[in-house]
Amino acid sequence: MAVLTATDESAALELLHELGCTDGLPVVIPTEARVERMVVASGLPGDVSLGAMGPNLGDATVEKVAACAVMAGCLPDHFPVVLGAVQAALDPRFDLTELQATTHCIAPLLIVNGPARHSCGPIASGFGALGPGHRANAAIGRALRLCMINIGGGRPGTSDMSLLGHPGKFTFCLAEDEDSSPWEPLHVARGLAPEDSAVTIVGTEGPHSVIFVGDADDPTAPERLLQTLALTLANVGSNNAHFGKGTAVVVLNPDHIGVLASAGFDRAKTAEALCERAVNRRGLLRSLNPTMVRDGDPDDLLKAFRRPEDLVLIAGGGSGLYSMVMPSWGAGPHANPSVTVKVELDQACEIPGLAAG
Amino acid sequence: MRDGVNLARIGVPAVALVSSEFWAQGDFIARSVGMPDVPRVQFPHPVAGSGTDNMRRVAQLIRDEIVAALRGGSGGVR
Repeated sequence: MAVLTATDESAALELLHELGCTDGLPVVIPTEARVERMVVASGLPGDVSLGAMGPNLGDATVEKVAACAVMAGCLPDHFPVVLGAVQAALDPRFDLTELQATTHCIAPLLIVNGPARHSCGPIASGFGALGPGHRANAAIGRALRLCMINIGGGRPGTSDMSLLGHPGKFTFCLAEDEDSSPWEPLHVARGLAPEDSAVTIVGTEGPHSVIFVGDADDPTAPERLLQTLALTLANVGSNNAHFGKGTAVVVLNPDHIGVLASAGFDRAKTAEALCERAVNRRGLLRSLNPTMVRDGDPDDLLKAFRRPEDLVLIAGGGSGLYSMVMPSWGAGPHANPSVTVKVELDQACEIPGLAAG
Repeated sequence: MRDGVNLARIGVPAVALVSSEFWAQGDFIARSVGMPDVPRVQFPHPVAGSGTDNMRRVAQLIRDEIVAALRGGSGGVR
């Protein structure tokens, strides 16, 4: 890995900004000692390659990922999740090269499940989990972005052609609120054991707020909630509405998930109900974007998502009126799927005092 | 750009058509996939949704360059 030299840390920061190695915000200078400490904490040799990261096809070695994690402000404790996130991003199904290059605003959202929520964090899942103030969330998501910039070569206007982007392109990471969820955790639904840790990566737009006021005396409440979520998921500005494919994320707050669970909706049944309701009439879509939707009966109901499995549902956020949905891009050779990877915690090496410096 | 590279790699004469706004990205991709000189021709951005008349005008503008690039001339890259 190339080593740069500077007279002091201020000069080093300016050099990194000048070379386009940052996200525009100040970074922790990745000195050899700091990077080495991050690598050692992983329990892996620095030259182990996780794969080629597009569009630059840079070799994502543990050492390079460690340098990005240092820059992002990660503690060594956070690093196993960063490695899992990079591994997930490099899964060929994720189409990272195309995701980096597209004009759409898509950004990778990281969802963390299992004991890593605590041992690699704490990674917040409740109030303001996607906002400022949560160090692990901020640093882990930012580490992936800095890898995408420095290893993958994604830079705005030349290789990352997102027309505007969204703030989740700085950092976009939360844990699932497993503790207050009536549903099994996402990683368990995807075949892992509850004691496993996992990171799920999904490319999405920014979060769209969904207001819903529950009423325990109203038997139509679950249906009203499903309709509200589905109509927001299939909003007519989204690619999903027009392409009829892609993955979307739904983050249900404890009140909203409770409304569904008490009406007998588990994750699979909720996803099925949302997929069925996330529709638009062909005539409406063609009246807005005639070249994007094939001609046919204007009353046809066109699904925004192909299958219920394309809706990633998790518990998260604080108690109140608002849940969130994140529609997506729906393009790329694999149509923008989510990928879940087990986070390897056993390889991590705990070294007292390692977080310092 | 990738299509142009992939076709060139299997021996099919190809020229990538790249709009001006995406020219730098084209250079980047050509370098990153190891074929920095893959033939390419630039046209004014945007063309999507710009109408049939404009498409004809753009086609006229770059026709000779496309032919030159396909014939192996150097005029394809600017």
